[in-house]
Amino acid sequence: MTPVGIEALNLFGGTACLDVRDLCDHRGLDLPRFENLMMREKAVALPFEDPVTFAVNAAKPVVDALMPDEKARIEMVIVCTESGIDFGKSLSTWVHRYLELPSNARLFEIKQACYSGAAGLQMAANFVLSGTSPGAKVLVITTDISRFALADANAVQEWAYSEPTSGAGAAAILVSDTPHILRLDVGAYGNHAFEVMDTCRPGPDTEAGDADLSLMAYLDCAVGAFDDYARRVEGADFKTSFGHLCFHTPFGGMVKGAHRHLMRTHYKAKPADIAADFDMRLAPSLRFGQRVGNTAGGSVFFALAGTLAHAGISDPARIGLFSYGSGCCSEFFSGVADGQSVERVAAMGISAALDARYALSMDEYETLLAGASVVRFGTKDAQVARDTVPGAVNGVSGRLVLEGVSGYHRSYSWT
Amino acid sequence: MDRTHIIGLIATEIRDILPELSDQSIGPDDVMADLGLDSIERSEVVLTVLEKMNLKVPMTRVHGPANIGELADLLANLHSAA
Repeated sequence: MTPVGIEALNLFGGTACLDVRDLCDHRGLDLPRFENLMMREKAVALPFEDPVTFAVNAAKPVVDALMPDEKARIEMVIVCTESGIDFGKSLSTWVHRYLELPSNARLFEIKQACYSGAAGLQMAANFVLSGTSPGAKVLVITTDISRFALADANAVQEWAYSEPTSGAGAAAILVSDTPHILRLDVGAYGNHAFEVMDTCRPGPDTEAGDADLSLMAYLDCAVGAFDDYARRVEGADFKTSFGHLCFHTPFGGMVKGAHRHLMRTHYKAKPADIAADFDMRLAPSLRFGQRVGNTAGGSVFFALAGTLAHAGISDPARIGLFSYGSGCCSEFFSGVADGQSVERVAAMGISAALDARYALSMDEYETLLAGASVVRFGTKDAQVARDTVPGAVNGVSGRLVLEGVSGYHRSYSWT
Repeated sequence: MDRTHIIGLIATEIRDILPELSDQSIGPDDVMADLGLDSIERSEVVLTVLEKMNLKVPMTRVHGPANIGELADLLANLHSAA
């Protein structure tokens, strides 16, 4: 059978970030067990950053590393997002333009909350497997930012339940028949889906939800999707089949809860064994996510990159991945990574790029939240200020930034 | 399984997670969030009580009760229907 999976993977965690503990203190949030969140920083989009710049900045290094004949084989661009900037025109069209991709390409956008990235990956993988265009590649990009507090003066209050964890980030995933990063186990997947109103985005700058219901749906899906996987894959065992696990990460504590739920329902495991297993198989996956916050469609790929960068993989190892998107749909699937995967992800310099971000002060963050200089959904004409946070743009080169909007058309330039 | 017994199971789990509540009475009018449990801990309480009652229902099925008494009523109903 044709091999299929992820050929290249890169993350983009923005230009600026905020210390999450400082934010919780600033908001007066009573979090006696702050460490349960397992969060350190969250990425905050600046006025000249939008879902297009995030997507392009994640994908640029992946595309630049290709030879011209390889780049010519990118025949589909799928942008996966819940942060769209137009009801009709897909983000893929801007990505296609600024990455100078071939004109013989399918361009479209996928939405299903935080499940969108896994949906995009599976669409891409199944296109490659179909054999209709042997050797074709698909560029799948997840891109999400959270600017929910712009809606009105009361929005910050309404947003309080998820403000500390809402982040921003993009993951670029090149899918092909040369899967250097993760070779997918073809046919090994399980889904669990049902209608539930746990979290939604009812308007361009608003998010609404119920933290308890969302957690419960996530837990139900973790078990339901794995059980469906086990139904399809003979002998699949949650405890022994996977050397590492990567879960959708709204925040680390939720991943810990889902892992504990699976270990208890399937093995009646004791707390100490569950904790040791979590540290070994899941803790490395949280390393990048806890520096950007919830990246929605991208978070399972932030988890994958975190595992490849921090788990010390050298021999081929099977990785189990779980993606969940509110509303809700979920999937458990798997693939195999090896030492080469680790080297290729390391070469992207993800940690260094996260380290180089500008650390926002609380005053700067509040200025950004007020949103006066932000281009909102539906804007017809605007010029974008580059100096809202003067310190943040210094030393940033080779990045796409939003210049302005003219007749609803967004224009961008390179720093 | 009656309401009082289930409230006892819930209170035991809450005290297990937050030992500082060991001397405090926990009753039907109490709300887990107000007692200081975060969302993960609230789900832990519910999962453990479901286990002890040997009830296998989706977690989303037990969402909604406003306090411990309502949660106990819902669990009692699910138990008698099982």
